[in-house]
Order: sequence, then structure tokens, then C-alpha cells
Amino acid sequence: MGPSSTSNAGTGKPPPPPRTELDGFLAGAGHKVRSSDLHHVAQRLERLESAMVSSPSHVVSDLTSDTVHYNPADLVSWVDSLLSELTHSYHHPNNSSAPTSSTSSSSRSLPVDLDDLFAIPSAANNWLQPEMPLSQPPQLTVFTTMEEDSGIRLVHALMTCAELVQRGDLHLAGTLVDEMTALLTRINTGCGIGKVAGYFIDALSRRVSGAGSAPASPHETEILYHHFYEASPYLKFAHFTANQAILEAFEGHDCVHVIDFSLMHGLQWPALIQALALRPGGPPILRLTGIGPPSPDGRDTLREIGHRLAELARSVNVRFAFRGVAASGLEDVKPWMLQVSPNEAVAVNSIMQMHKLLGPDPSPIEPVLSWIRGLNPRIVTLVEQEVNHNQTGFLDRFTEALYYYSTVFDSLEAACPVQPDKALADMYLQREICNIVCCEGAARIERHETLAQWRDRLNRSGFRPLPLGSNAFKQASMLLTLFSAEGYSVEENEGCLTLGWHSRPLIAASAWQASPLSAAIAGGDN
Amino acid sequence: MAGSNEVNINESKRVVPLNTWVLISNFKLAYNLLRRSDGTFNRDLAEYLDRKVPANTIPADGVLSFDHVDRATGLLNRVYLRTTEGQPAWGFEELEKPLSTTEAVPVIVFFHGGSFTHSSANSAIYDTLCRRLVKTCGAAVVSVNYRRSPEHRYPCAYEDGWTALKWVKSRTWLRSGTPNDSKVHVYLAGDSSGGNICHHVAVRAAEAGVEVLGNILLQPMFGGQERTESEKRLDGKYFVTVRDRDWYWRAYLPEGEDRDHPACNPFGPRGCSLEGLIRFPKSLVVVPGLDLVQDWQLAYVEGLRKSGHDVKLLYLKEATIGFYFLPNNDHFYILMEEIKCFVNPNLNCQKR
Repeated sequence: MGPSSTSNAGTGKPPPPPRTELDGFLAGAGHKVRSSDLHHVAQRLERLESAMVSSPSHVVSDLTSDTVHYNPADLVSWVDSLLSELTHSYHHPNNSSAPTSSTSSSSRSLPVDLDDLFAIPSAANNWLQPEMPLSQPPQLTVFTTMEEDSGIRLVHALMTCAELVQRGDLHLAGTLVDEMTALLTRINTGCGIGKVAGYFIDALSRRVSGAGSAPASPHETEILYHHFYEASPYLKFAHFTANQAILEAFEGHDCVHVIDFSLMHGLQWPALIQALALRPGGPPILRLTGIGPPSPDGRDTLREIGHRLAELARSVNVRFAFRGVAASGLEDVKPWMLQVSPNEAVAVNSIMQMHKLLGPDPSPIEPVLSWIRGLNPRIVTLVEQEVNHNQTGFLDRFTEALYYYSTVFDSLEAACPVQPDKALADMYLQREICNIVCCEGAARIERHETLAQWRDRLNRSGFRPLPLGSNAFKQASMLLTLFSAEGYSVEENEGCLTLGWHSRPLIAASAWQASPLSAAIAGGDN
Repeated sequence: MAGSNEVNINESKRVVPLNTWVLISNFKLAYNLLRRSDGTFNRDLAEYLDRKVPANTIPADGVLSFDHVDRATGLLNRVYLRTTEGQPAWGFEELEKPLSTTEAVPVIVFFHGGSFTHSSANSAIYDTLCRRLVKTCGAAVVSVNYRRSPEHRYPCAYEDGWTALKWVKSRTWLRSGTPNDSKVHVYLAGDSSGGNICHHVAVRAAEAGVEVLGNILLQPMFGGQERTESEKRLDGKYFVTVRDRDWYWRAYLPEGEDRDHPACNPFGPRGCSLEGLIRFPKSLVVVPGLDLVQDWQLAYVEGLRKSGHDVKLLYLKEATIGFYFLPNNDHFYILMEEIKCFVNPNLNCQKR
């Protein structure tokens, strides 16, 4: 280390780089501010207060009703953006309802027609710098606070069995499976802990006996997905949030191309097509490339779905072209198959697919992230389960899954979905559980990782975050009120949105863009 | 008011550390944005801006937490337990056993502040505070996510507090003490509106014969129609204004009511003496010397005394509101020590 003196009289030495540590106490309160920035933030807060006091009251109330806020964890940016909103509106009082180039605000306010929800412009240039993620301890959570005796004993037995499996003592584990199966007969397996335990016991049984899990056919998977979509708000939230971000990213572009990493039944796209049809200035030319598994029986399911979407697009006067790319897995997709042309704005959309690429070495995730970056997309929308099911230790993984799926099933029960949606939605989840518990190596594809882990990975792979703002948050919250079940909660997490059950986030949506190459070289070396 | 801004800012900056000033000023300005002059509240933006943290059953610094939702009421409680070395990360087994079979372990039912309107049990600032309480006091803490105004006015918060108290009292795994003497050793604690809730829940408990061992009112939210000297003197000087206090009371109290409603002014013209309410617990009331509602807080202390109840006043002359959020000042440590002694009567604490 060099000399610590900061005097540079006559030496020509540059001063040492600023301390980039975050203020620990504020970080604990959820606000990321560098210690060296405290004075700056304080000054800006003072100015903001003065501006609020001296502005006419309608201007200040616009700050809440119309302005889109981004990432309140980054206090500096949040205060600065409010300040610029206020001073701009104050100096251009006649312009208060017109969008500006730097920070635009919507002149619409809720409640609005559902159709209008997508057509709200955003503060398009308010993107933030990537942040230093605080390292989070792994969220190993397993409290199910049921207090019926047999429920507790069952969970205890499950954990013990999992530990035996981790130790390799399959014989003893098998005995325990039998005991647990017997225990199951004494509790209600239609709901609650009994139901979830049943699935985990089944999965353990398969693992111990070596039977493994039967892989679902793509056709079955699609059907189960569709019913899970109907029975709960998770996939709707995913589609809705991603669409909003894509819509905003496509502003000002006349040729746009969406690449969907898993088309399924194309459920996500009618809403986007309709939103694009309604956008001020008219719709762009829309291309959609849908990736999906090859159809076995000579049908071309991808094409059929493409046809249906094309019909819809035609009916709302959106010029539309569809292309299907059949591949068994994302690792088999090559960028040339997507036929991206240089003048179009590209959106890459991945709903619960990316985690499948996290398998053992050579893991395809890096090559795939690399070619995504190579497409120079306007936006990459990523939605993933908010949990770490990719831990190497079996017991850790099992524990995490037990808690996670207990919470998901809890939420489904409260949502009271109709049959057959509910039963098939359960089966959709059961397949995931089975894969996490029974499979290893390349066969284990449900390798969910948390938002914090994805942030880390994407930052390192040359992407930077595009914050989802308060607009998306508000609309997601409204989406939830369409479901009668209270208990779902949308939360803002440093520019990303999560949907969870009570206070446990279960699914996380984020948006990304390729970082400019020079960003890798610039920046402090602290 | 606009002209006196500069003086106000300089004063408050002098008495708190810079990071505290940033934190509380940020709250103040955000809250100003959220309150509407027509009495409604921008709940969506409030939830968006509120920094929340999930529960964490991996012991961090000797504390683990988990959430419990009462299926019948939808009320969420976040439970904080202390852990010891070598304890497994997943302690569901512990839910069957009492906290201790040899000694009394205090269980603090905590009501977060926010003037009945803001914050949640899983707000970062309150999650952190509860964890600190566990560590310092060796207590279990149950933080109640009570329903807030203006969507849910009086008496919802008190109802939820009472429900939470009953739930806590009936948990076998929150009991402690020798087998013959095992019970849940409950204390109520809360800051701002949470302190107000403590009082009213404690009254109800006393009337119902439910034992509460102590009340901890930290910067409690009380008021009245009259404008007191401290309100006039300190208005706008240390983050809080009389105007915003008025807004929150209007949002919480039944429509058309004024601030002499007994929820707001328990010992005022429409309140009543607690004389004779034997089971009402001892109280610790903490008053920051720079809190503009201190005259009401002191009147509360006086009201308790006149009713013959045990109350200790901790007056922190140079403390502003929210001094307890960050452990970067003496008041914080004095407070923690006081609370520790209050809930652990067997400790040999220095009498002040």
C-alpha cells in the first residue's frame, strides 16, 4: 500500500479514490448511500424540502400521483430525480402535463380502463448505475408454524430423512419414508402441511428407491403451465410486469422484435400486442420469435400458436410476423436461428427458463448470456422463482424447498381457484418438487436461484439493471386486487419487483440491458 | 413557515449525526408526499417506498425470525427468537418446547410506529430494532402488523393489538420459568403510535384479567385539542410539525372526532382515571426532549401517577424523534439499558 498522506502539493500525485463503502446504519435501514455521499444527500434533501415548500401545492401533489419513482433504495438518485421533477415543473408551469425529454410524467391517473394501463409513458432516461450488491446470507428458511402434534412430527421426520439421504444412508432413509407414509394417514392430506408433506415424502421415496422422476412430456408441461397460470397470480404477474417493461423499452422504436425463451401457449403476448396497438403514435412492426420444444407427432405447435397471435394482431392492425424455433433446451439455440436484424429493437423475455441453464459444468449459462448480450437487446426481462434451490448440499436444498413450496401451496389454497385448475396447478408444482428432490446432475433442471444471485451473475456477465418503477408496482398491486385472496404482496426490491405470499417473496421480476463495453474498464478499483 | 426553514434545518442538523439526519429527513419528505390534503393517503407509493426485509430463520448475530399469519384474521406477527451456539438453523422443534424451563424469559409484544399510518412489522427499521431488542434484553419479540389508517381507523389497531396479545399468551412455546411456574412473561412495547396502542391494549388486558408485566412507551403518540407549549415551541424544528400530527389524528380517529377523543387523550376531558385498575402494569415512558408532543407524553405520565400506577419517566433531553433507529448516539444505549432492566427485574440494575 502506498503512503496514506493525501497532500499533493508539488508531488503531482492524485488524491486517493473516494471511499465507496456504504454507510452501514443506513444500509440496515434499506437505504444505500456511500459514506462519502452523505453530505451530498443531505444537501439535496434540504433543497428538496425548500423546493417542496415553495412550490404550488398541485405541483407537489403531481410528484406522487404522476411521477414514476425508481429504486428508492438508491437514495441519492431518488432525491435527485424528485428535485429535477420539481424544479422543472416549477420553471415550466405551463408544461406540467407534457412529457419532457429527461423526466416525463404521465398525465393520466388511476383508476383507468384496463386497456389504458399499458399506454403510460415512462421516465425513459432515468436509468441508474449498477449497484454494489450487499452480500446476503443464504435464506435458509423452514418455519412452518403449525402446532398440531403430527404436523410437527412429520416435518421433523422429513428433515431427518433428508439428512440421512445426504449422508448416503438410503436404507435407513427408506425406513423413515415408510414411517412417514404411515403418519400421513393420520392427518389431512387435502391441504396444509399434510398435502405438501405428501409431495415431499413421495419425492424422497422416489429418490431412495432409485425410481427417479418420470420426465413430463412437453405437451403435459404446457397444459400444467396453463392451469398454474389460471389458478394463481404468479405467471400473470410475470407476464404483466415483463410486458410493461418491454412496452416502455420499445418506446420510439418502429421495428421491434420479441424473443420469447419459452412460448408455451403464447399467453403473454395478446396483452402486449393490444398495448402496442394502442400506443400513442401507432404500433410498431412487431416480430415475435417463440422458442419451444419440438412437437413429436408431426404437428407444429409453435406455428399454430403463431397463427393465433397473428390473427389477433391483424384484428388490431398491428403488423406482425411470427417465427418458431424448435429446440429441446435453450442451450441448443444459436443466435443465428433468431434472425435478428440490425435496425430492430430487441426484447429477450425469459419467464422461469434461465435457471435451467445452471446445470453442472460445462454449464450453458455463460455462453447463453454471452450471445444474448451479443444481440444488444433493448431489454432483457427476467422472471425467476425467488429462492435458492441450487445449493449443492441436499439437506439445504430440501429444507429450502419445503419452506418455499409450503408457502406457495398456502397461497394457492387461499386463492380458492376452481377445479381442474387447482389440481393441475398442484401437479405443476409437484413436478418441480420432484425434480429438485429426486434428480441430480443434468437431469436436475429446476435450479432456482435468488434475485440477489441473478443480479450478481448478470452484473458480472456485462448487463446492467433497468429499474422497474412505481408505475409497474402500482399496476401489479392493482392486478392483485382482481384476486379475492388477501395476502399476496408486491414489493419493490432495488429496482425489481417481487410477488409473494404475505411477507415472503416467491417470484421476482427484473429487467436488464447490456452494459456498454467501456463500463467494464471504468469505475473504481476499490 | 417558508421563511423559517433555514433555521429549522440547521438546528436539527446540529443535534443528530449526519446519517440519522438523512434517514429521518428522508422519511419526513417522503411522508409529506404521501399525505394528501383531503385526508386520503397514497398507500401504493407508500408501500413502494417502504424498505422491507424478509424474515430470516438462519440465526444472524444470535437472532432468528419467522412470520406467522393467523388464518382467521389475516393478522401477521413476526416472531424474533434468540439462538444459542450450536443450535440448528431450522428450529421448528423448538416450537414445541418453552423458551426456558429454568428462568423467566421476557416476551415483548412490539407495536411499530408510523403514526398509525406508516410502516409495517417487516419494515427494515423496525425489523432491525426488534432484533436489537432480542439481543440486548435476551427477550423474544413478537412484532404486530396491525391494520393502519386511514383505511382502518380506531379501534382497529387496538383490536389487532388485543388479538396479538391473546395469541402470544396462548403459545406454549413462548412460556418460560420453572415447570410449576411456567407462563408467558409478556411486556408490551411500542414507539409513536405503537406506544399509544400499548396503553390501550394494556387497559383492556387489565380489565379482562390478562396479565401484562410491563408497558414500554417509547416516544408515544398522544395529543389533545389544546396547543401545548412544547407544540408551539418546537413546531417544525425537529422533523415534525403540528400540522402533520393533526393529519394523522384525523386519519385515525373516527370521522368528525376531535383530539380530545380518549384514544388520543386518555387522561383528558373525555378520558378517565385508571385509579383502581389494579392489574394495569408498571410503565416505562421514554420522552425525547426535542419531541414536540412531549407535553402530552408528560401529561400521560402524570395521569398514570395520579391513578396510583407505577411509572418511570426516562426523559432524554437532547434526543429527537427516531433517535432509537440507529445505534450511533448515547440516547440509544441508555434506552436499551433501561429496557433491559425493565424486562429483566431479576438483573441487578443500577437505580437511576
